[in-house]
Order: sequence, then structure tokens, then C-alpha cells
Amino acid sequence: MAVKEFKLPDPGEGLLEAEIVEWKVAVGDQVKVNDIVVEVETAKSLVELPIPWAGTVVALLAEVGQEVAVGTPIIQIDDGSGDSGAQAPGSRAGSEEGSAGRERAGSGSGASDSEEEPVKLLVGSGPKAEGTRRRARRVLAATEGVPDVAAAPAEPTEPAGRPGRPEPSSEPAAAPAQPAPTPEQTRALAKPPVRKLAKDLGVDLDTIAGSGAGGIVTRSDVESAAVARGAEPDRSGPAHPSSSLDSSVQRGTLGAPPEGVNSRGETRTPIKSVRKVTAQAMVASAFTAPHVTEWITVDVTETMRLVERLKADREFRDVKVTPLLILAKAMCLAVRRNPQINAAWDEAAQEIAVKHYVNLGIAAATPRGLMVPNIKDADLLSLRELAEAISTLTATAREGRTPPADMAGGTITITNVGVFGVDTGTPILNPGEAAIMAFGVIRKQPWVVTEDGVDAIAIRHVTTLGLSFDHRLVDGELGSRYLADVAALLEDPGRALVWG
Amino acid sequence: MAATRTTIAKALNAGLRRAMDRDPKVILTGEDIGKLGGVFRITEHLQKDFGEDRVIDAPLAESGIVGTAIGMALRGYRPVVEIQFDGFVYPGFDQIVSQLAKLHSRSRGHLKVPVVVRIPMGGGIGAVEHHSESNEAYFAHTLGLKVVFCSNPEDAYWMIQQAIECDDPVIFYEPKRRYHEKGEVDLEATEAPRGLFEARLLSEGADLTLAAYGPMVKTCMDAANAAATEGRSLEVIDLRSVSPLDIDALTTSVEKTRRLVVVHEASEFCGFGAEIAAAVTERCFYHLEAPVLRVTGYNAPYPASRLEEHFLPDLDRVLDAVDRSFAY
Amino acid sequence: MSDTGSASVLDRRPPASADGGVDMIQLLTPEGERVLGGTAADYVHYLDELTHDDLRGLYRDLVLVRRVDQEATALQRQGELGIWVSLLGQEASQIGCGRAMRRQDYAFPGYREHGIAWCRGIDPMELIGLFRGVDKGAWDPNAHNFHGYTIVIGNQVLLGVGYAMGVQRDGAVGTGDPDRDTAVVAFMGDGATAQGDVNEGFVFAAVNDSPIVFFCQNNQWAISEPNTRQTRIPIYRRADGFGFPGVRVDGNDVLAVYAVTRAMLDRARSGEGPSLIEAYTYRMGAHTTSDDPTKYRFAAEVEMWKLRDPIARFKAWLGHEGIADGAFFASVEEQADELAARLRAETVGMPDPEVGDIFEHVYVEPHRQVDDHYDQLRDYLDSFADEDGE
Repeated sequence: MAVKEFKLPDPGEGLLEAEIVEWKVAVGDQVKVNDIVVEVETAKSLVELPIPWAGTVVALLAEVGQEVAVGTPIIQIDDGSGDSGAQAPGSRAGSEEGSAGRERAGSGSGASDSEEEPVKLLVGSGPKAEGTRRRARRVLAATEGVPDVAAAPAEPTEPAGRPGRPEPSSEPAAAPAQPAPTPEQTRALAKPPVRKLAKDLGVDLDTIAGSGAGGIVTRSDVESAAVARGAEPDRSGPAHPSSSLDSSVQRGTLGAPPEGVNSRGETRTPIKSVRKVTAQAMVASAFTAPHVTEWITVDVTETMRLVERLKADREFRDVKVTPLLILAKAMCLAVRRNPQINAAWDEAAQEIAVKHYVNLGIAAATPRGLMVPNIKDADLLSLRELAEAISTLTATAREGRTPPADMAGGTITITNVGVFGVDTGTPILNPGEAAIMAFGVIRKQPWVVTEDGVDAIAIRHVTTLGLSFDHRLVDGELGSRYLADVAALLEDPGRALVWG
Repeated sequence: MAATRTTIAKALNAGLRRAMDRDPKVILTGEDIGKLGGVFRITEHLQKDFGEDRVIDAPLAESGIVGTAIGMALRGYRPVVEIQFDGFVYPGFDQIVSQLAKLHSRSRGHLKVPVVVRIPMGGGIGAVEHHSESNEAYFAHTLGLKVVFCSNPEDAYWMIQQAIECDDPVIFYEPKRRYHEKGEVDLEATEAPRGLFEARLLSEGADLTLAAYGPMVKTCMDAANAAATEGRSLEVIDLRSVSPLDIDALTTSVEKTRRLVVVHEASEFCGFGAEIAAAVTERCFYHLEAPVLRVTGYNAPYPASRLEEHFLPDLDRVLDAVDRSFAY
Repeated sequence: MSDTGSASVLDRRPPASADGGVDMIQLLTPEGERVLGGTAADYVHYLDELTHDDLRGLYRDLVLVRRVDQEATALQRQGELGIWVSLLGQEASQIGCGRAMRRQDYAFPGYREHGIAWCRGIDPMELIGLFRGVDKGAWDPNAHNFHGYTIVIGNQVLLGVGYAMGVQRDGAVGTGDPDRDTAVVAFMGDGATAQGDVNEGFVFAAVNDSPIVFFCQNNQWAISEPNTRQTRIPIYRRADGFGFPGVRVDGNDVLAVYAVTRAMLDRARSGEGPSLIEAYTYRMGAHTTSDDPTKYRFAAEVEMWKLRDPIARFKAWLGHEGIADGAFFASVEEQADELAARLRAETVGMPDPEVGDIFEHVYVEPHRQVDDHYDQLRDYLDSFADEDGE
């Protein structure tokens, strides 16, 4: 018995369901091809449906008055042939869904509501049901930026041989077309947001080697370059108040000037680029290393006198001499006496690394933010060389030209809060270091001076040094001794001769 | 090489004449093109020399002119339709998009319709309404048609012949404000200097690319010359073909200069410049140092003629866009 | 019969008159009797050239064309075709005209002229692709001198006039050579006569004296709108205003249609210019399978026109005249059954088109933006894991 099922077809009218009005045949009747077997009603008109096969009616699968969805089998015919089969594949959607019924095309409602009659269309089969699930894509070897579940659009292939274009790929769903670097490419490739970032940071895009495919300069390339190089040209306008970091670290403005005060009486600047990088470093430092800060107030009158003498000295006449220079020297000398402080806690290797060289970092204030370039082997430099190094370092930082190498490898740092007239602070360690010295303002203050055993009040130059150290590897004694040694040198620079 | 100094109008006339000489199947049809020689005299003397059967003074009915031209093409002829003014092509729009554009694909290649529809386009001539339109976007958007613009006498002379020889239907735009501007044409050459659909680099530059077609090409050349005196090196491309678009010429240029300004008389909104901007941005995203800018007619119907100088792009507006591009 | 809406609207519409008026040329009455004298006299001599074989051939044409139409309608109801445009009731208009055309004549149909296609030697299966959604009418027009179906109503009339203007320039008019002199037949319905293109076609043909016969099948209905919405004057009389002759013929009378068409084609071929034939007939079915005529016309009208059936009258006449007998009629039915079965089998088995069909033949010569997209779609389809497409 070869039974064929005739499903309610989509007779090209946007028909989604129909009501059985009258059966024109009964079970057992013989039918010829195209005999009308049923009358259905759709959108207020009657449609007679012809059967596509000849044979005997085996079963009527729907009742008069029943609403039947397109694709539902309504009658079975035994065509007398050997095989049974479903309706011919040429049928439209009606044959595909079977008795599962079909989602009402174009709307999300279920098939059950029959109150709304679909409008019969004059032409065409009406809206086709669209898929609601995604077809599986072939998984490709991961290309940069393309997720494994290839959702990336296929790129238009270009004929081979066109200069500057990638080879035509028969690889589907490749990454969006990336330009191949041409031999003479001296100008950077970068997408617009990255270009804007570079411009805002004052970074020359063309000097950055891009890490993206084809040499494209990425956002992180620019950010790294900016952090390495420091400031861009000074921005006119007031320095903006910084965020709530409670630190004596010099602050600066960051990012584009805010657009304006918003409706809630705030000015909002997105956290990004240098400030973001700096903040991340600070957080890493502050919440990893247990910070202890000790202070010492010291009479630096002798240092000030030394500075004046050096300024007048021919050998120092074309270089800037400041108290900072003396402090820098003092810190190097004090390291020699307390080498353990010039170290780092290497969490990953679970080792403490004591450095046998001093890369002295000087925190530089820039309108862009805090930059900490360091002077390599500062302990090997003469005073004059140290003075030159400090000048160069500061100027370079201000121009935003600090090479990345200068930003890396510091071992101990000075942060000069004194330029702001601030007494001292609790500086946060530069990541990778174990100590940082806050150099406060030098003021004339009354001081007790003892001469020949007699105490008297004199007006002296006084300052406060604040040393924060990583208490994991620097204990109180070490930190205190180091601080005291530095102070001693500032109090009596001649001591340097004693300590060699 | 004997270069003749002649106008676009005369070059078109010469090109039509040469095409008609070489192929007896070439037929001209349009309003007033026979006795009068066309309102712009583009077809002057041709009816006298080729007869009324080959240069047809058609009834005043653009749909009929285009439709019968298509019918003649089906019979094996190569009709060249003249639409009297850009604003009057619309009655023929149905025949152009429903039949001319689609017959070849509809018949799966059995039928060819090598019809050229010549349209004098653009403003700047102080005319009344409907005589200053730029409607290339509608036709470029209709796949099945090819759309080209001549901008100078040499191109006029050769492109009209190439369009006639092309087996695809071609909408052939002529910048009517430039009809009487002169240029060099070698009327004795036997081969066209370039392909019909190739863009042409008119002047090399390093800083920014100006892309235009038709009447705005000269405007861009003038702007480039002015910019040179200000120290800016502008590259000028005459696109010549709007469909197909020579996208490679554009991307090669933009990869070098990193900046693109497109200039057309048609309104900006949904104008052809939008296609260029999207296509170039997609291909040159990492090269662009500024967004693709468009200098166009404003988003309004073409105004009364005393306002048209405000409406149309000119040298100053082009250079203003160049400045804006550099501000990025 | 379902309620057809506002009764007052329908009341104002007179039933489509089965009486075509005194000017209508008729050679065979609905009862199958020959009409003698009257206006028929001008045309009856064309029947002399028809042999009995020819006449039996006309009958076969009528039956087979109707059978194809019925099978295609059923196939559409079974979901094999997206749409079908039925010519039921108009067979005589088309067979009579089609068989009057010579090989070199060229036809520009609308989209209902399956009977003309039949006469031009196009196998019915070549029409099916369009209605199934496989192509847009892909037979080679020049192989049959039968242009593709034109769905924008009236466009084809201008194309036909242009073609005729080309024929003139080829010198294939008025030579006296019956195999060379060429006429064009542009087909349209009653609704089309309101379309601008049709009227412009009349203008161009008239001022150019083009060798074209405008053949209007007035089947009384343009979808739901009757003649009174398309014209104030009988269609055949509109030709007068354009300056060429117009004639109305009984579209259900295959002999009259044949004769009148022969006459007008001769006119055109000899260089006397255009003419308009209005074949007065009736659209027995719906405008298309998506249309429901019960919404706008009365069943009684349809019943009336059943009495004027073109095949019944011709069969009756052939029988009376002894030109055909029961065996012949039976054999034609058999042929019809075979044809229908073949149509069914080949339609059901018709393969789907290739994706490339979207892009191929858009242009003769390459076009960058089309080619790019062809590549893009190919790559996109390749990117799916499963083999079977949607």
C-alpha cells in the first residue's frame, strides 16, 4: 500500500491556514489527477483544491469546519504504486514543515490565533518564513580579532595581483580586509579612534611601530608610546583637579578637556590613556606592597649654601643646580650604605632582587600626568653628570619624548612635592621598586641650633623628607637608617666625603 | 598627431558623426534633433547628411522615445536617444529602469539593448526649473545600466563613440554648462586614449584627493590650482564612470593621500558621493586621516536660478572642504 | 457565492455585455453556425485559404492550450507554481491571431498570451519557469519571434512600435515578398489601453506609418475594473483619434479572429501602417490565481459567457460540417491528457536555479560592482558548515 499524504499547500496567496468547508470525496472513492477533493475557505473566498495523484482515498485527515495550517496533511491517497512518499519536493514551504505547523510568517504569534485573517496577496507567495536560528558556520583557524565561532562577515575578494591588497582568499569568514604593508609605507595605518587618541596624546603616529596585522598601529601601541614618552605640548588652561587619589604624587590633567559641565553639575572625563595606565600602576603598587612611610625633618641650610656655591662655580655654570640635585646624590650615596633598600619584591619568581646599580627615577609632573623616567646608573655619575642627567630628563619628559627604555628599569625614586609648596606626603611606590622619597618644600623656619653647647633659635632652611618603603622586604630599621642617612647628607653635605 | 582645439558640443557632434559613418545601424532619436540639430546643436547637420530615417525628430513623448529606441535595438539597431534636458528624463524613467536595464538579464542574455541615452545635465546656466538637474544616482542605483560622464572635449569625442559601441545600455551625461568650453582633441586618432569606464588621474598630488565627474571636474582642477598657491598638493581624479565605479583608482589615490573630498552637483542626501564614501571608507579605513567629505548641492530641490550659485559647489566650497579635512 | 461587498457599487456596473455591437465582426455564432453577409463579408475570403487540416489544427490548438492552462492552474493550487495567469475563455482570440501570423512576424505579448506562444512554437514548459519563480521568461525571443513576457503593463507596446520602426529601416515592408514583409503584433488588454505607453505607442506608430497591428484582448476586466473605468468609447474606436483603423472582432470566434488578423497584418506588411484589433472576449477565470473575482463580479455574468464558449462553438461547427468526427475529438482529448501529464511531471521535477543566475547576464560586458558581489555571495555561501542551502 503506497499511501501519499497531501498537505494543505501554500497556493501562492500568503495563505497561512484555511478552514475545511466541504469534502468532495469520501474514503474509498477513486480519484484522478486534478480531481477536486476539498473546498477550503481562506480570507473569505473559497478555493477548490485538486489532488495531484490518482488513486483511492484512504483517509480524510481533517474535519469540516476545522482550521488547518498550511503544511498539515489533510488527505491520504493510495496511488497503487510500490513506494509511499510525502508530497513532491517541488512544493513550496507547505511540504517542508509537515504537521508541526509553521510559525506565522512575519509575526511572532503562535499559530493558534485564527481571529485575524491574513490579507490575500495579489502576487507572489507572500512573506516567506524566515529562520529564527542561525546556520552553523565553518570554523576557521583563528585570525587576529576574529572569534572562533566565525561570526565575521566574508570579505569581498579582490583579484590577485593588485598592489597593496591581500591575496584573494577562498577562506570564508576571514577577518575584515587588512592592508598589506607596502614597501614604501612611511605613514602609519590606524583607524580613526586611534588617530584621535594619538593626536590627543601628542604622539606622532608615524613614529610608532604598529603591532596590528599589516603594521596597523593599535590603541595600546599609542598608549604605550604615550606613557613612555610623557607629555605632549603644554596645554593652556588650568590644571584640572585630579581624582581622589590620596597621594603626594604629582598630578596632572589627562585626556581631552571635558566637553562641559553636565546637567548634574559635574564635569566628566573618561578614564583612559595615560591616566588609566598610571592608575593601574598605582593600584597595583598600593594594594600589593604594604607601604610604610617615615618622615624626617632636617635642616638643609648647608645644602642650600652648597647649591649657591655650585651655581657660582665655573664647572656648573651652564647646568642647573638645585637642592634636588643634592638629594639625588645623597640618595645614591645612601644606597651604597644601605644596599638592601635598592631592591624589588619579585612575586612571580618568589625572590627579592637587590639591584647593584641605581637607576634613579625622578617623578616628572606633566599636564598629561605622572611620568617617572629614570637616570640609569645614577650612582656612577659625577655631580655634574648627575645635574646634566636631571636637566635632560626633565626637559625630555616635558616634551613628551621620553624613550620607553627610560621609563623602565628604575630602582628607587624621588618625587618632588616641594615645588608645589607641599611639606611632604605618603608617596606610592613606583611598581618594581622598594622605596620612594618625597622631597618637600624647603622653608626658612626657626630652628634650634647648638653652638658650643649653647642652644639658640636661628632661622634655618628646613625641609621634610618622607620615605615610603615596601615593608615586605624593607623593615623599619633599614628604612629608618636609609632615611636618616639621606637626611644626614643633606644636613651636612661634607659627610659625603666621609662616606666616600 | 593633429590636435584640434574644439568645444565639448562640437566634439560630441564629431563623435556622433564618426559613429554613424562607421556603423549604419547607429540611429539618433529625440526631440528637435533633426531639422534644428538639437537645442544645444549637438546633432547639428546630421539629419541633412544621414537622412530622416537615421536622425529622427521624435514626437514629444519621452517614454515613447526611449521605448521605441529599445524596440529598434531589439531589431538590431544602435539607437542614440537625446533627452532634451535632464529634468525631462522622468517620463522615460519607467522604460529605462523596467526595460532598458533589465531586458538582457531577464532574457538570460538572449537580448541585447545597446541603447545610449544622452542627457545634458547640471546647472550653472541660469535656467528655469527642470533644466539643471543631476539625476545620476537613480540610474547608477539601477543595475543593468551603465552611467558615464564626459568632462572635456577629448572625452566627449571618444566616450560617445565608445558608449555607442558598448553592447550594454549607457546613460551618457553631458555637462551642459561646459558645452562651449574648449580643449584639445586629436580627431585623426583611430583609438580612444582610455577605456570608457576608467577613471582618470588629472593631476597628481600628495595631500588630499579630489574626486569628481562631469561639470565639477573643472571646478576641482581650479580648486587644486588655487590650493597649490597655498602650499597644498591636491590630487584630482575625474571618475568619468559612475557605474561601474573605478574603485581601484580611488583607493590607490586615497592610500597615498589619506584624505578624500568628493564633489558633485546633485544633493548630498543619498547622492552618489555617499556610495563613494562608504566604499572608500570600507577599503581604506586604516589609511584615512579624515572622513570622506562631500561637497554637493544642498539638500533641497534645485533653486530658482538667481540662487544657484549658492546651491552649487564652487572653488571656495571645495577648498573649504579641503580645509575641514585637514582639521581632523 | 460569497458576499461581494457594497451592493451599490456593483449595481452601477452594467454586466459585461455579451453583445459586442453591430460593428463586431463575427463569422461563427456561439451556437456554431456560420454568419453570412454583413460586415463579415470583408473578411470571409481569408477563410478560403484554410484547409480542413488547418481547421482541425485550430481545434487541436484550442483544446491543448486550454488543457495546459487548466493543468497549470491545478499545479498552482498544489503549490508547484507561485502564480498562474489563466487565459481561460480567450483561447480563440489567441489561436486565431497566432495562426494568422507569418513566421517572420514578431509578437510582443503582455503576460497572458500563452496561446500566442503556442503558435510561435514555444513549448509550454518554457513558460513555466516564470510562474514557478525559476526565471523571468527565459526563452530565446529571436528563435520564435516572440518577445518575453512584459509585466509592466503597456511597456511592450512601445517596444513593438520601435521594433516595427526597425523593420521599416530594414526595408522589410511593402516589398511584395510574403516571406520578407514583416509585421509586428503588440498585445494588450483592455486595461492597458489607458496606460500612457500604449497611447504613446499609438502616436509613434501613426506618425511613422509603422507596420504594426495593435491586438487588444478586451476580456472585460482589468483585475476588478470593468471597461467603463478604462475608456469612455469602445476600444476599437479609439484608433480613429490616432489616425488609423480600428476593428472589433468576436474574440470567441476563432475564424473571425483569424480572418481579421490576416487582413490587418496584410495592411501592415504592405506599408499601409498600423491598425487596432479589439478582440471582444471574456476572462472566464480570475486575473491570476491570487485574485478572487467573486469579490467584484456576478456569477451570472460568468454563466452568460459560458454560453459563448469558443471551443464549444467551433467543435459544433466542425462536427456539423463533417470536418471532424468523434474519433478526432477523442484523439485530441488523448493528446491533451498526455500533454498535461508531461507538463505536470516536468514542472514538479524542475530544478531550482543556480545562485549565479542572480549575477550572470546583468551586463554584456563586465561590471566591477556586480562581479564583486558575485564573489562575495559565493564566499559567504561557502562559509556555512552544512551542505544544503536554504
